This record gives sequence, structure tokens and C-alpha cells, in this order.
Amino acid sequence: MGIHGEFLYICNNLHARKPCAFSPLWRNVTDVHILLVEDDVELAGSLRGQFREQGYQVEHFTDGDSGLASACGADYQVIVLDRMLPLLDGLSFVRELRARGVMTPVIYLTTMSGIDDRVQGLDAGGDDYLVKPFAFAELLARVRVLSRRPANAIDAPVRLTVGSIELDLLKRTVARAGTPVELLPQEFRLLEYFARNPDRVLTRRMLLENVWGIHFDPQTSVVESHISRLRAKLNHGFESDVIHTVRGAGYKFLAPN
Amino acid sequence: MRPTRLLKTESFRSAALFATLFLILSWVLLGVVYWIVNDTQKSALIGAVDADINTIRNGYREKGLSEAIEVVQQRLGSGDYTGADLPGGYILIHDAASGSRVGNLQPMTPQLGLFSFPAPAKRAHDVTASVLGRGVYIADGVYLFVGRDTGQIAATRLRILEAFAWIEAVAMVLAGLGGIFFSVQFMRRIDAITRTCQSIIAGRFSDRIALRGSGDELDSLAAAVNNMLDRIATLLDNLRQVSSDVAHDLRTPLTHLRNRLEEARQKSVTTDDYAAAVTRSIEDTDHLLVIFAALLRISQIESGSRLSAFSVLSLSELLERICEMYRPVAEDHHQVLLQELRRDAQIRGDGELLTQMFSNLIENAIRHGPSGTRILVRLDVSDNVATASVEDDGPGIAVEERDKVFRRFYRLTGSRSTPGNGLGLALVAAIANLHSAKIELGDNHPGLRVRTCFESAR
Repeated sequence: MGIHGEFLYICNNLHARKPCAFSPLWRNVTDVHILLVEDDVELAGSLRGQFREQGYQVEHFTDGDSGLASACGADYQVIVLDRMLPLLDGLSFVRELRARGVMTPVIYLTTMSGIDDRVQGLDAGGDDYLVKPFAFAELLARVRVLSRRPANAIDAPVRLTVGSIELDLLKRTVARAGTPVELLPQEFRLLEYFARNPDRVLTRRMLLENVWGIHFDPQTSVVESHISRLRAKLNHGFESDVIHTVRGAGYKFLAPN
Repeated sequence: MRPTRLLKTESFRSAALFATLFLILSWVLLGVVYWIVNDTQKSALIGAVDADINTIRNGYREKGLSEAIEVVQQRLGSGDYTGADLPGGYILIHDAASGSRVGNLQPMTPQLGLFSFPAPAKRAHDVTASVLGRGVYIADGVYLFVGRDTGQIAATRLRILEAFAWIEAVAMVLAGLGGIFFSVQFMRRIDAITRTCQSIIAGRFSDRIALRGSGDELDSLAAAVNNMLDRIATLLDNLRQVSSDVAHDLRTPLTHLRNRLEEARQKSVTTDDYAAAVTRSIEDTDHLLVIFAALLRISQIESGSRLSAFSVLSLSELLERICEMYRPVAEDHHQVLLQELRRDAQIRGDGELLTQMFSNLIENAIRHGPSGTRILVRLDVSDNVATASVEDDGPGIAVEERDKVFRRFYRLTGSRSTPGNGLGLALVAAIANLHSAKIELGDNHPGLRVRTCFESAR
């Protein structure tokens, strides 16, 4: 993992425009610094406590101006940003941040659940959008994914290899340990999302948003049904299960040997 | 009604404007008539004067001065010159050689051509009376003047002026009265509208402006205002209904939550008991949040703000994606989800909302249908209309309940026990409405057929 990680680190470094605008893949949780900008002190205190329990370093600011100053001055891996802030609102915060060339991933926390609000937020340069109220597990899963994502996405590779599973993103084919696996288009997208985020908990809502592009709660077991089929197809003829169900949180893709 | 307010009305102003225009026109007319009458009468007078001059001159040429004097005296005796109280005309013939002078005028300096002078005899009131006539030499030293009193012409002129003065006076009075009449009429109707508006402001929402049935512009304005008020009243009623529905339907899950927490406090002994109670309470809270989210979404859709995000999209691709998404779900329920998307249809819409709409319809079919249910998603295109339908052979919806299911929180009589919040179809209706799509529930013999008709973008 070390050599692999170092290699990626160099790659990322070469592509990074700013020193703080990359995050190496092998980074330990304790190295992950989170900037929390939230004016609701009670919520912020609770989030800070829970993040610290998970081993994250958290800096907290209650207004947009001081938050922005800190975001530009220090090296954070993720910014958790309230959409409505005193002095500088969330949207202007992100626009200003990106204008200054800081590409640290931003996840908004907001009470505004409108489609337009979400689109505006992402258009301004945010990376993810979480509507209050939310379960901490949901925020944690998203922060984990964002903190490991290279801030400057390098051109999408043609092949994705996770353990013995190999995806050809152009031909849309999958093989496990060399054995081809036939997948339907949506199953392929699901697997691709898993493969891009191995060993991380992905919540049901993250899967719905990123695989199917839907932002409402289906009243039926859409995710469960697709996962059970994908799991059956991938595991067919193999001993180890590649998709683990994490109770009360979501699913985790475990790279098989 | 205050007079100043009346004078400010539009109808009074137009009446005044028209009266002014009429006044100007009548002055022009007066000038023309005055000039024509004056000119005609003068020409007639001069014609008569010249005829008399000719007769006298002919007499002189034929038989000499004595004959001319004879003719003059004859003429003076005729009706043209005598008049009732004053002479109507004047003649003077004067022979310089003999010095003889005949006529009803005082001697005067001979003057040639047409001229006029003040009449020697005047009526007391007629200061302008004058004599108009012609002076000629009918022979060497024989001067003749023939003239007529112009009192007649002056009298005619006066009569014309008088007539016009009367006409104008009457016209002004009529214009004024008409203006006041129409203004009062207009103000009355405007005041009626104002009173109705104030009464509505005061809280009597059922008040409407009375129509006269004349179909004029004020009537159509009043009708439009009434229609607008009806629409607002409907919306207000809806809103009131929604608020009370929300308050009522949220009370049930909140009561459940409260009971559960109370029970946990009283009966829980071990940490596990508490943990179980907390987990279930979180589930209840999540259910409440789902209801809130759905309500917010419906009102956001109904506000129409999403219209700006519309784009042309392929309905067949969208339906195909949704079918692929729900096929495994249906299979897990031992149901079959089929698709019959014959032709592609491009429509203008919001892909995310349409996805939610068809997802809701398919999920309804899955959730309310028993195992073995066959669900068919169809797309037909004809004459610029794309008809997307979701058909199933499940339990269906009774005819009398079909209109009600689109209401918020409405649950079918038989489905209260199945999970759901009664907002799914309300959301479907809101999305269809936003897309100006017609939505109808029909019988699939057996089962339900939901049809949505979109206008094609091409």
C-alpha cells in the first residue's frame, strides 16, 4: 500500500494547483482535518464531539468570514459548511474559496431541501449536499468519501481495478479474478461507484444520489434489490462476499483478494 | 359625492372636452353662415340698386332729364323705397346745369362707385343702420345716387348670432348635465367596486361585485375581478385545508412517538430496552421528517419555481431507466414489471421531478398489488401527445375514490394499515400539474390504469 500510495501522492502533487488542494489516498483518519463552519453552536458541538470520537481533527468557526480565512490559510481535507451563515453565506463562501484557487472538498449542511437550492450549491463549487436533519453516520460516510477523493480529479481512468475485480469503464465489462460477470447498466454503475470508494461506508442515500441521481426517498427497497442482485452476480462461484452490509449505516465494498 | 371629485372623473373630463370641441366647431359654422348670408344679401341689394340705376338712365337717354325725374319719383313711390315707418331706400338725382334736385336725400357731394354712409333716419335701437348704394353720372353733370337701407342685412345678421348663441347655450348645458350624469353613473359603479373591495379587506371573503349585465367594460372588469376573487378563495380554502390536514395528520405520528417515549421511561429496565425504544423513536422521527419533506416538495412544486429548470428530454429514455430501476424490486415482490415503449417522445420537463412522479406510480402498483401482479409501463405517441401510462392488475381504486386520491393525506379505505403517508399521489398530481399534463385514473379490468398525457416538444 505504501509504495502505491506514494506514487499516487506524487501524481496528485503534480496535478495540484495549490499545496493544500490534494489529499493523499493513504492518509490516516487522524491526519484528516475537518473545517466545520456552523453557527448553530449546539449542533456544531455535537458534530465536533462525534468527529473527534472517530479520530478526526476538527476546527470550528461560527461565521463565514473567519471560516474562509482559516480555509485559505490552513490545510484541511474537508470543509463542512452551513449554507446559511452570518457575515458570509455558504454559497458566497464556496465561490470565494474556489476563486482563490482552494479546491478542498466542501459539503453543505442545509435546511433548504429544494432542488434549486441543491443545484445552486453544487454549481457554486460545493461537492456534496446534506439536508438537515441528518444522521451523523450519513455525514461521516460522506466526509470519509470526500476526504479521500483527490481534490483535483485526474482524468477518469479507463480501467478500475480493486483487488481481483476489474472494471473496463469504456466497454462496460466486469471480471472477477478473470471470470467475466454479466451486469445490467444500473448494476454496473452501482459497482463502479463502489469500486471508486472501496472500504468506505456508502449510505443508501449516497447510493441513490450517485448511482441513480435521485434525491427523494423511494418507498420501496430499490437499493436493497439492486445490491442483492449485484452481490449474487459478483459472488457467483466465489467464497468471499464483496459487498458488506453495515447495519444502520449502509454498505461497504471490500476489495477481494 | 363631493363636486370636486365629480369634476375629476374621466367621464366628466371627456364631456368637457367634447363640449369644447363642439363650441369651436359651432364658431366656425357661425362664421361661414354669417359670411354667406351677408354676401348673398349684399349682392341682392346691389343688383336691385343697379336695376334702378339702369331704368333711370334709360329714361334719361330716351326722353331727357324730365323723364329721368319722372322715373325717380315713380320708384320713390314704390314699396321698395317707402317702408312702413322709415324709407327702405334712397335716391338722389341732381342736374348741375339746371340745378334741379329730386330725391329723398339731402344734397351731398357727388361720389362715384359703391359706398355707404350712415342712414339719415334710424330706428332708435339700430345704431349701425347705414345706406349702401352706388353713385354714377348718367350724363354730363347729371349725378345719380341709388341706395338701400342695410337695416335688413343687419337684422338677419343679428338673428343668426342670436340663433347660434341659443344653440351654444343649450349645447353647453346639455354637455354639462350629460357629463355630470355619466360621471355620477361611473362614480356609483366605481364606488360599488371600492366598497366590495373594502368589505373583502374587512374579512367578508364571500362578497362579490354586482354585475349590471350590460356587458360593458366596467362589467367585464367586475367579472374578471370576481373570477380572480373566486380563484383566490379556492386557493385560500386549499391552503386552509392543507394546514389543518398537516396539523391533523402529524398529530398521529407525534402521538405515537410520545407514547413510545413515555412507555420507555416507565417500563424500560435494561439498557437494551432503552436502546430499542430509542431506535424505534428515531424511526418515528424519520417518518415525520419524510412527511415534512414530501409536503415541502409538493408546495415547492406547486409554486411553479421549477418551470425555469425545464428542458427537452426523452420520455422513453426516462421511463426505461425507471423500469430498470424498479424491475428487481417488483421481482422481489414476486411481481412482473413490463415495459412497452413503442416510440420515443420528446417533452419539455424536469427530469428529476418526472422520475419521482413515475417512480411514485410504479411504487404504488408494487406496494398495493399482491404477489403475481403484472405491472405494465406504456408509452404511446399520437398527434403531438405523448401518453405514458402505468397499468396493473392489482386491487385498483373504486370509481368514487378516484378523484380524492390526489388530495394530500388521503388514504384509500382499505389501505390505512399499509405503510405510507398519503402524499404520494398528491405529489404526482402536483408534478403533472406543473408539466400541464393531464392525469386520469381508469379501470384496467381488473386493476388500475394511470394515464398521463404530455404535449410533445416537437
